[in-house]
Amino acid sequence: MAFQDTQKRGIGPGLDSNSHSRKENRLTPRLTPLPLPLPQSFLRLSPAMNSAPSKLYSDDVSLVVVLLDTNPFFWAAGAGGGNTSPHHPAATLPFAKFLNHVIPFLNSVLLLNQLNQVVLIATGVNSCGYIYDSAGGGSHGGNVPAVCSEILRRLEEFVAKDRRLGKGPDRVVVGGVSSLLSGSLSLALCYIQRVFRSGALHPQPRILCLQASPDGPEQYVAVMNAIFSAQRSMVPIDSCVIGVQHSAFLQQASYITGGVYLKPQQLDGLFQYLAAVFATDLQSRNFLQLPKPAGVDFRASCFCHKKTIDMGYVCSVCLSIFCKHHKKCSTCGSEFNQSPPDASATSDRKRKVSEV
Amino acid sequence: MPEVRIVAKNFMDMVAALPAMKLDKLYSSTFICEAVLRSLPPLAKKYVLQMLFVDSPVTAKSMEEWLLADGYSKHKVAIDRLLQLRIFLEVNDRKKETSYKMNTKFQSNMQKYLVFGGTLPREPMPLSVTVRLPTLEDLEVYALEQWECFLLQLINSAQAERSTSFSSSMMRVFQRGLLSARENGAPKLTENGFQFLLMDTNAQLWYIIREYISSSEDRGVDPTDLISFLLELSFHTLGEAYNLNTLTDVQKHAIKDLADLGLIKLQQGRKESWFIPTKLATNLSVSLSDSSSRKEGFVVVETNFRMYAYSSSKLHCEILRLFSRIEYQLPNLIVGAITKESLYNAFENGITAEQIISFLQQNVHPRVATKTPVIPENVTDQIRLWETDRNRVEIIPSHLYEDFPSKEIFEAVCDFAREIGGLLWEDSKKMRLIVRGEYHQHMRDFLRHQK
Repeated sequence: MAFQDTQKRGIGPGLDSNSHSRKENRLTPRLTPLPLPLPQSFLRLSPAMNSAPSKLYSDDVSLVVVLLDTNPFFWAAGAGGGNTSPHHPAATLPFAKFLNHVIPFLNSVLLLNQLNQVVLIATGVNSCGYIYDSAGGGSHGGNVPAVCSEILRRLEEFVAKDRRLGKGPDRVVVGGVSSLLSGSLSLALCYIQRVFRSGALHPQPRILCLQASPDGPEQYVAVMNAIFSAQRSMVPIDSCVIGVQHSAFLQQASYITGGVYLKPQQLDGLFQYLAAVFATDLQSRNFLQLPKPAGVDFRASCFCHKKTIDMGYVCSVCLSIFCKHHKKCSTCGSEFNQSPPDASATSDRKRKVSEV
Repeated sequence: MPEVRIVAKNFMDMVAALPAMKLDKLYSSTFICEAVLRSLPPLAKKYVLQMLFVDSPVTAKSMEEWLLADGYSKHKVAIDRLLQLRIFLEVNDRKKETSYKMNTKFQSNMQKYLVFGGTLPREPMPLSVTVRLPTLEDLEVYALEQWECFLLQLINSAQAERSTSFSSSMMRVFQRGLLSARENGAPKLTENGFQFLLMDTNAQLWYIIREYISSSEDRGVDPTDLISFLLELSFHTLGEAYNLNTLTDVQKHAIKDLADLGLIKLQQGRKESWFIPTKLATNLSVSLSDSSSRKEGFVVVETNFRMYAYSSSKLHCEILRLFSRIEYQLPNLIVGAITKESLYNAFENGITAEQIISFLQQNVHPRVATKTPVIPENVTDQIRLWETDRNRVEIIPSHLYEDFPSKEIFEAVCDFAREIGGLLWEDSKKMRLIVRGEYHQHMRDFLRHQK
């Protein structure tokens, strides 16, 4: 078959328009409607890579990068914003109380091993920033009041700066009130890469997302890229969702990188969730039952309008996803010289995919 | 290096072996709780954290539900450790179900620590009194010098430039198990001794300290006091000065010995004297099985069996001399060759090829460390070959059977011997065979049956 194809191509101009048969489809880029989620094989993930295997270190020394959602739209909703329901998570767990759970958690990670390291990154609406690094300050020794006040001070500065950025003239008007998860994930990964390069012996890194605000579909590509690079460098992403809905991004992040995804039921016991589940070092995870996701929402956002879609068009060259048929792929520039195929072709193609 | 773990465990074993009363007394100090917690296996640490804010006992059954199928052995180790150290206490209710409850003292101390943070064991002295403190680099150099000097004296008292103030009886206590005394000539290093030299500094330190503590009762000192003082010491801030007057008499006495080991530096001002903890002391509470405190390596081995060690330390030279021929020594470089004779010497002393290879692998120079294999394969193979050379002859106790009356009986006996797996050699012409000694009874029974 392949031989025939090359023969035909060798003849080149001899191909008449009628021979644009189905055989020919392999040679020309085309935009294919596909049901989403794409099968894992389509995303070029071999089954073995589904969950990142953890490197075998001799010990349980860990580096925990915590991404703290400081989205004011979410946290203000609980503070008596008039029309919010009393069931809003931020009503039962205001930001101050939330910190009261998180800081002892950070402290307990540091307690477990002298070489453990904790980094706190704030995820804002317009920016992200490093808040605290246990390796940086010399004030170790479990001096909680000092650390606590430092974290609070840096957080206040950060929130003020974040607000200022939002008021600027070049403000990016985002559709909703989602936080810049992609930004803080990238910051965390950069930090981890620096640790990897720092020497032969380094702690085992992992990322913990404390996410409150809903996903921002416009960040889909950036978040997925961050997830895949975390997977490549074998950094598990744990997610603890405090918000109202489940987060499809984080479900995928934890699933792909082999982390734990959890949406705590009782927020006033947050510390217990953190200590019981997320404080577990990677070595011990091999022996323990940890929460398993009931289901993962694999839906993707289209690249053209950033909408979350169930069914879309996928570029056969670069796997970009679109919600409508396009003439040309906006990512790789391939030209699709075909009209959208009819329904029968779609079902045909679908079967092919499932055979892969 | 499994040895490190055994030593490390042994120290906490010593803590665990204390009577319950004394152990509970130890836990009234937050530092000791912290140090003990850090010494636990990872899974046990996790259990402690999970149970920290749980007041009621948790049944053993429900704890087992946290586990995956292949985690049971780890779970058992963790729980045993927690029970030994009395962090978890066993509670049996009326239904005879076992439950675990956390030691209340330990629990409340750790809870406080997590929420409010810890405090320093004692206040450092103000700079106005101490005026000039050594820099951190100076302190580290001092500590390592002191430690190496001690080690050198330990393995080869003749080589040490200056001796520590440990009495010879103390020294003998440390040497017990590491050196075997010979009637004539210098004592030689035992297998354990070589393994000891292979360990990283922290593990060596714990070994020595364990010996120091276990011999303390002979000197009329309560081991509990020493243990708690040592663990407390590891939480002092590196390089700060602390007044000697804040110590008890026992501690004052111990601190002189600790200065000899390089754990602390003693200094004297005009009126007061103080001690400054070094890195060795502050690293004491680092998780004991941890290998991340290992130093940078210094050895390069070439395919021509020559070995270059970038070190000025006499101790390193002594260690290398155990299995190689030192050819010459430059101020920062030791050049040696791994030869058949030098290795035979090592094997004779009970050092195995694997130990030598793992020592070389663990101490490779950072430049070579990026290559694979870090030690040339022909060298490691040759070391192993030379070791097996020595084991070419295997001695098996056995019996020779001859003078069989007929060929048939001989064949039957041979078959029988082969069947039970004891046949070593047979000569069908002369009708003789040799069978392993342990099967002699079977053979006799069989032969008797033949007649």
